Amino acid sequence: MAEWPASPSVIGKRIPRLDGLLKASGKAKYPSDVHPKGLLFGAMLYSPHAHAKVKSIDTKTAEKLPGVKAVLVIAGPGTTLRYHGDDIAAVAAETEEQARDAIRAIKIEYDVLPHVVTEAQSMAEGAPEVFKGGNVKKGRGQTKGKPEDAMASAAATIEATYTVPMITHVCLETHGLTVGLEGEKKATAWASTQNVYGIAGDLAQALELDRGDVTVYTEFMGGGFGSKFNADVWGTTAAKLSKMAGGRPVKMFLDREQEHCAAGNRPSATAHIKMGADREGKIVSVIAEGHSTGGVGNGTNMILPYVYRGVPHYSVGQANALTNRGGSRAMRAPNHPQSCILTEAAVDDLAEKLGMDPLEFRLKNLDPGSPMTPIYQAEIPIGAELIGWREKRKPRGKTGTGPIRTGLGMALHTWGGGGNPGKQVSCTIHPDGSVDIKTATQDIGTGARTILAMIAAEILGLQPTEINSLIGNSSYPPGQPSGGSTTTPTMAPPCYDAVTKARDALFKKVASAFNNARPEDLSLKQGQLWAGGEPVASWKEACRKLGTSPISVTGEFVDGLSSTGVGGCQFAEVSVDLETGEVKVKKIVAIQDSGLILDLLTWESQVYGGVIMGLNYGLFEEVVMDPTSGRMLNPDMEWYKLAGASDIPEIVVRAYSPPDEKGRQVIGVGEPPTISTAAAIGNAVSNAIGVRVTEWPMSPRNVLNALATASREGRA
Amino acid sequence: MKAFEYAAPTTVDAALKLLGGPNAAALAGGTDLLGRAKDYVTSPDRVVYVKEIKELGGITGDAKSGMTLGAATPLSEIVHHSGIREAYPALWQATSEIGSIQIRNMSTVGGNLLQRPRCWYFRAGFGLLGMKDGQSLVRAGDNRYHAIFQTDGDALFVSPSSLAVALIALDASAKVRGPKGERTVKVEELYRVPRREGESELTVEPGELLTHVMIPAAGKNGAYEARQKQAQDWPLVMSAVNLTMQGDTISKARVVIYGVAPIPWRSEAAERVLVGKKFSPEVAAEAGTAAVEAARPLSMNAYKVPMTRTVVKRALIRAVQGKGYWEEG
Ligand SMILES: Cc1cc2nc3c(=O)[nH]c(=O)nc-3n(C[C@H](O)[C@H](O)[C@H](O)COP(=O)(O)OP(=O)(O)OC[C@H]3O[C@@H](n4cnc5c(N)ncnc54)[C@H](O)[C@@H]3O)c2cc1C
Ligand code: SF4
Repeated sequence: MAEWPASPSVIGKRIPRLDGLLKASGKAKYPSDVHPKGLLFGAMLYSPHAHAKVKSIDTKTAEKLPGVKAVLVIAGPGTTLRYHGDDIAAVAAETEEQARDAIRAIKIEYDVLPHVVTEAQSMAEGAPEVFKGGNVKKGRGQTKGKPEDAMASAAATIEATYTVPMITHVCLETHGLTVGLEGEKKATAWASTQNVYGIAGDLAQALELDRGDVTVYTEFMGGGFGSKFNADVWGTTAAKLSKMAGGRPVKMFLDREQEHCAAGNRPSATAHIKMGADREGKIVSVIAEGHSTGGVGNGTNMILPYVYRGVPHYSVGQANALTNRGGSRAMRAPNHPQSCILTEAAVDDLAEKLGMDPLEFRLKNLDPGSPMTPIYQAEIPIGAELIGWREKRKPRGKTGTGPIRTGLGMALHTWGGGGNPGKQVSCTIHPDGSVDIKTATQDIGTGARTILAMIAAEILGLQPTEINSLIGNSSYPPGQPSGGSTTTPTMAPPCYDAVTKARDALFKKVASAFNNARPEDLSLKQGQLWAGGEPVASWKEACRKLGTSPISVTGEFVDGLSSTGVGGCQFAEVSVDLETGEVKVKKIVAIQDSGLILDLLTWESQVYGGVIMGLNYGLFEEVVMDPTSGRMLNPDMEWYKLAGASDIPEIVVRAYSPPDEKGRQVIGVGEPPTISTAAAIGNAVSNAIGVRVTEWPMSPRNVLNALATASREGRA
Repeated sequence: MKAFEYAAPTTVDAALKLLGGPNAAALAGGTDLLGRAKDYVTSPDRVVYVKEIKELGGITGDAKSGMTLGAATPLSEIVHHSGIREAYPALWQATSEIGSIQIRNMSTVGGNLLQRPRCWYFRAGFGLLGMKDGQSLVRAGDNRYHAIFQTDGDALFVSPSSLAVALIALDASAKVRGPKGERTVKVEELYRVPRREGESELTVEPGELLTHVMIPAAGKNGAYEARQKQAQDWPLVMSAVNLTMQGDTISKARVVIYGVAPIPWRSEAAERVLVGKKFSPEVAAEAGTAAVEAARPLSMNAYKVPMTRTVVKRALIRAVQGKGYWEEG
């Protein structure tokens, strides 16, 4: 089995992103910045209705407008449109304005059909159907032991309905690509994707070409979070428009409205939860009934109870309510943030009911059978110390008397994040000493480019800046799509393999040139070639001995360099204004393990980003659907609220990384740090104000409503 | 957006001539107009840029005799004006919380006062009253950001201008010039409740220009805003108040509320509580309670009632005592 070096010189250090300056200075060209010669602008026409049939569509006027080069109907007469934002037709024109004018000149007659856009509408008796066969799909149910009996004998129980709304990915760079053809048989695309290798196949299929005839570039990209794995209708449409326009490149990026409506969402989740514990504070039973909507796609697959899987008795039922709204897509740790909120809210409420410190209560209820348990046991005290749990935390409702109350909350999470075999990385050492690393993966923000360079630099005794780390090109060896926190753990092993083999090949070729050394006497460090404990040549001099033949090796996945399974905990300190319901997050502490950390700087930046995304989920985000018109009411960045700089609190990030943790090898960290933030914030708010806010996000409206309900019921 | 003709005159007279044509719109900072044009909510055929008109710029006067703001004055100039900060804290506070630095740099006094409502039904093309097939989408739908006063009527949107609320509290007037000459109106008279679809909520007619806003000397004034986000967010509700004191006693009071009605909402109920009383936090709380007595929230915005009570109370306390009981440290 392969092993990472025991005393590395680059790995584990804080290495700035190789492309950091390019990005910060605006020099990096994102796919939506690319303007190849002859560029045409594409625009999509999408449904203003939640449910309708296209009766007729007339593109004649549009086709004759100045600048219009191609018009393509996607949803012809008879097609059913199932959500606001559903694709109908597309145009390519000389300017963006012309394309947009042409879209408006397409005449459509609709048969508007009744719709369901809320869960209540979807689940109502006799509701209009999204697809034939009913709206409500029973999801995976689970029963263990005798939950009803155990609940009846519990010393304390809680019962409540917790809800978290649907949100969207809101990628800063919207979905899309620019694609053009040269001749009949070659296509080039610049795509904002998390799957540069796979998307070439999508486009090839649309153009009836071979995969190898299509080259896709994703040098940089502005966020995907699970929503950008495919070319999608708009991407393949752009390819077809380009073909219709004689191969001229067509730029097709969604507008924000369609992005929100059609390009994916994280499904909502609501669960009615009963939870009971015995006198010692052991959870004995969980009974949960949940439902959710992911529009025309899958709902949340609720993992209940989350993390605390050792609960002896539980039963979980869940249903997916289809609605007339764009379908869900994977979104940063699919199913986990919802499951975390639902479980951790109930766990917190039960601890309060028992009069126990929710931190102690959690420690008591960790699953003895889980390999994550020792990790949580180590992480929780670190986080508690950093947030000041012992000094600052007061029991719920005992947080003072003034209008501004502060509170603390916490939550736990878990994730996989392992590497998969089957992907490749090539390494070429040139006689001039330059080194190329190539693979068809992409950097969706996790630092892939930098990390590959670091691994090569480590093995070759060089600096990461001396490596040409080439990614984001579909013609390179097949690389990993960035999903499931798998990019680093999947790409690091073949990179290690390629560079190690290239190094060994180099040693073999040049050893004799250095006092007839044997290859096994050679080593590389500090930019030098060493033989028998002495530096004998600089890296460049050593490579020069290759003469005219570079070394080129393709590496495969090797065992022993990556693994899977992480646990983390987060703590939030908030202040809440009881009179206005305004919530300010003052501090977040995030403790995360992820095995061997390759670049501590990009690792921390993943955790910061995850926490900020989780803070948005906790405080601001929600898709608002209009029951009557069936439209999304906030498909923008004004009423779809996201944090600005002044909403970001102090964030303290700590890697949990003792020696045995490093021994777990490389594990991805893209998703885990976003899972528990919103749950921790909700728990902190409830701690501050003395009553549970059962509905996320922690908006002034939800906070004031919770306070009003409690005071009506005489609870506050 | 629809293509339009563009002009950038340098005098009010020239601007008025250009605005005389059909379907023309004044363009100041564009932070409202351009968004509406992109969404096809407003599609002018001619756009007349007013920021090159020198007459419309600048802040003059002083605390004693009152101040005048040119309509094309950027909001950031108000924020940076120490005289305004001292004499009209209500205006200063309200302005400094509008949008972001970028928005305040671009947007202007006139544009802010005459911006159109942000109601998401209006902005989605359902008209100002948000009706579909004779039914109010607002009433049946998501009205979390809508009105809590006069909700038996059809106009359920809320007036969007923070500046208006502060200026009405300060008893300011506006100069409006049009083809028929110039008139001076109270700022509150710039607004009305539309009775039917197609009627504007603004009384400034197409073809007219707002040129100046005049603020008289003020009493103790202040503003308080509640919002969801710290960064670049709109107020959920806000209040601006202005109290004329005789010794310790309040002799005149103006209490205006944002986010609760289709017009900047003058709360005479709160004013009645205040006049003739000595100021105290308890009196402020009483005024807050009185302010919401007539509130009739919609299905999703009952939360605005306690919030409104609070912002009125806090605006009063801030106006008289500076620092409030809710502030840390
Ligand atoms: C994220 C965000 C947050 C915001 N938050 C707030 C807030 O908290 N409070 C608030 O009040 N506003 C807020 N705004 C709105 C912003 O303040 C207004 O868009 C801005 O003040 C409008 O000014 P402008 O000069 O850009 O107007 P423009 O967009 O140029 O014009 C607005 C309207 O006024 C007309 N007009 C402009 N000048 C004149 C004139 N002299 N005579 C006659 N008609 C004229 C135009 O024809 C147009 O119809 C926010 C905006 C954004 C984007
Ligand atoms: S606010 Fe929007 S437009 Fe302005 S810089 Fe940020 S992303 Fe770009």
